[in-house]
Amino acid sequence: MAEDLVLDTAIRDWVLIPLSVVMVLIGVLRYFVSKLMRSSQLPDAKIIKEGQVIIRARNLRAAANFIPAKSFRARKVYYSNEENGLLYVPKGQAQNAQAQMFSDPNMAMDMMKKNLSMIIPQTLTFAWVNFFFSGFVAAKIPFPLTQRFRSMLQNGIDLSTVDVSYVSSRSWYFLNFFGLRGLFSLILGEENAMDDTQRMMQMSGFGFDPSKSLSAEKDGLDIVQHDWALPKFEQRAEDVLRKLVS
Amino acid sequence: MVSKTEEEQVNRLENQVENGGGGAWEYLCLVRKLKLRRSDKVLKFGLSILNDPKKRSALGPEEWTLNEEVAVAAMDCQCLDVAKESIKVLQKQFPGSKRVGRLEAMLLEAKGLWAEAENAYSSLSEDNPLDQTIHKRRVAIAKAQGNIPIAIESLNKYLEIFMADHDAWRELAEIYVSLQMYKQALFCYEELILSQPTVPLYHLAYADVLYTLGGLENLQTAKKYYASTIDLTGGKNTRALFGVCLCASAIGQLTKGRNKEDKEGSDLHSLSAMALEKDYKQRNSSKLSLLSSTLKSLKLSS
Repeated sequence: MAEDLVLDTAIRDWVLIPLSVVMVLIGVLRYFVSKLMRSSQLPDAKIIKEGQVIIRARNLRAAANFIPAKSFRARKVYYSNEENGLLYVPKGQAQNAQAQMFSDPNMAMDMMKKNLSMIIPQTLTFAWVNFFFSGFVAAKIPFPLTQRFRSMLQNGIDLSTVDVSYVSSRSWYFLNFFGLRGLFSLILGEENAMDDTQRMMQMSGFGFDPSKSLSAEKDGLDIVQHDWALPKFEQRAEDVLRKLVS
Repeated sequence: MVSKTEEEQVNRLENQVENGGGGAWEYLCLVRKLKLRRSDKVLKFGLSILNDPKKRSALGPEEWTLNEEVAVAAMDCQCLDVAKESIKVLQKQFPGSKRVGRLEAMLLEAKGLWAEAENAYSSLSEDNPLDQTIHKRRVAIAKAQGNIPIAIESLNKYLEIFMADHDAWRELAEIYVSLQMYKQALFCYEELILSQPTVPLYHLAYADVLYTLGGLENLQTAKKYYASTIDLTGGKNTRALFGVCLCASAIGQLTKGRNKEDKEGSDLHSLSAMALEKDYKQRNSSKLSLLSSTLKSLKLSS
C-alpha cells in the first residue's frame, strides 16, 4: 500500500465543490430550457383509437367466457374480419415506424429538441471537466474498496498503485451526473423525476409499431376458444345459497 | 373501484376534519386520488383552506389545483358565486388557459345557459378535438336539455375513438334502457361485463335487461346471469334472488305442457326463495306474509 497522498485544500475549493455546483446549476438550467422548448403535442386520433382497440380486444380475450356465445362471435367478427375489422391491418398499409417518423417532421423535431437539451450540456460539461481537471485525484472516500471499483472511481487515471478510495475528478463528474436526481426532484418538484437514465430508456423504446400489436392481438383473438362460464355459475350459486340457507 | 380499506380511511379522515381535528388537505388529496364525488365536503374543507391565508400559502403551487377542485365542487352544489370567485382567481393566474376555459364553460352550463356553454365547448374543442372531458360535457349538456338522440349520437361518436372507456359505455347503456332500446343496451352491458367481469352490478343489469326482453332463450340466459350475481355477491343481493324466482316462474309458464327435460336448474329457484324468506325473517318480518304470498303466486314456495 502506498503511503497516504495529501490532497491540497485548493483542490477541494477549486475542483470538488465547483464541479458539484456547476452540475446542479446546469441541471436546473436544462430543466427550464426544456420546459421552454416543450411543445404540447396533440395526440393523433388514429393512434389513440388503435390503443383503445387493443385494450378492448384484450378485455374480450380475457373475459370471453362471461358473455354468451352469440355475442362473442359477433364481436370476434367485428374485430377480425378481413374487410373492415378493427384489428385487421391490410398488408400494404403496415408502414414501419421509421417511415412514419420521416413523414411526420414534427415527430423528428420533437426528438431533436429532446436530444439537444440533453446532449449539448452534457458534452460541454464533459469537455470542460476533461480539459481542466483531467488526470488527478480530487477526493478520498473514507473507507477502503476493492480493486473492482477502480474503473468506477478512478476514471482517467491509469495508475494501478493508487489506493482505490481516491476519486479522480472525472469520476467525480460521473458520480454527480448520475447521483443528483434526488436533489433535482427536491429542488424542481416531483414531476422532474425524469432524469437522464430514464430518458435514455425512453429513447430505446421509441420505435413502437402499433400495427404489429394490432395483428398480434388479432392472432390472440383468433385462437380463443369460447367456453361460456355462466352455466357453471348456476351450480356455484346453488352452493352459495345452500350454505346461506342452512 | 374503491377498496374497503380506502373507503374506511376516507370516512375516518372526514370525521376527523368535521370535528376540527385537522387533516383537511390530506382528506382532499385522498378524495382526488380515489376520484370520489363528495362535493359538499370538498367545498367546505377546500374553502376553509383557501380562506385562511396562512394555510393557503403553505400549499404552494397546489393552491391552484385546490381552486379548480373547489370551483367544480361548488358548481356541483349550485354555489355559483363561490365557483365564480375561484374561476376568477384562476383566470388571473393563468390567462388564456384551456383548463380554465373549460371551467368557465362548465360554469355557463351550471347556470343553464346551454347555447353559450355549447359554443364555449366547441371553440375549446377546435384546439384539441380529442379532449375527453369536453366530449363528455357535451353529452351531459344534451342529456340535461332532454335531447336524448343528440346525447346518444355524441356518445357513440366518443366511443368510436375511446372505446375502452367503460364509464361511457355505462352511460350509454342507461340511456338505452331509459328509451327501452333493450337490444342496444344489452350490447353495452356485455361490453361492461367484458371490461370488468367481476363487478356483480353489471351482471345484474344485464340479467334485468334480458328478463325484460323476454323469450325462452333470453329468460334462461337471464337466470344464469342472476345466478352469477348471486355467486359474486355471496347471495346478499335481494334483487338477484327475486330475479331468479321470476325467471324460473316465467320459464315454467313458457315450457308448460312441453317436455320437461330442463330439470337441472330446478333447485336454484327454490333455494333462492328460501334465502329470500330467511332474509326477510331476519330483517323485515312484517313483510314476510307479503313475500310468501308473492312466492306462492309464482308457484315457487312449497
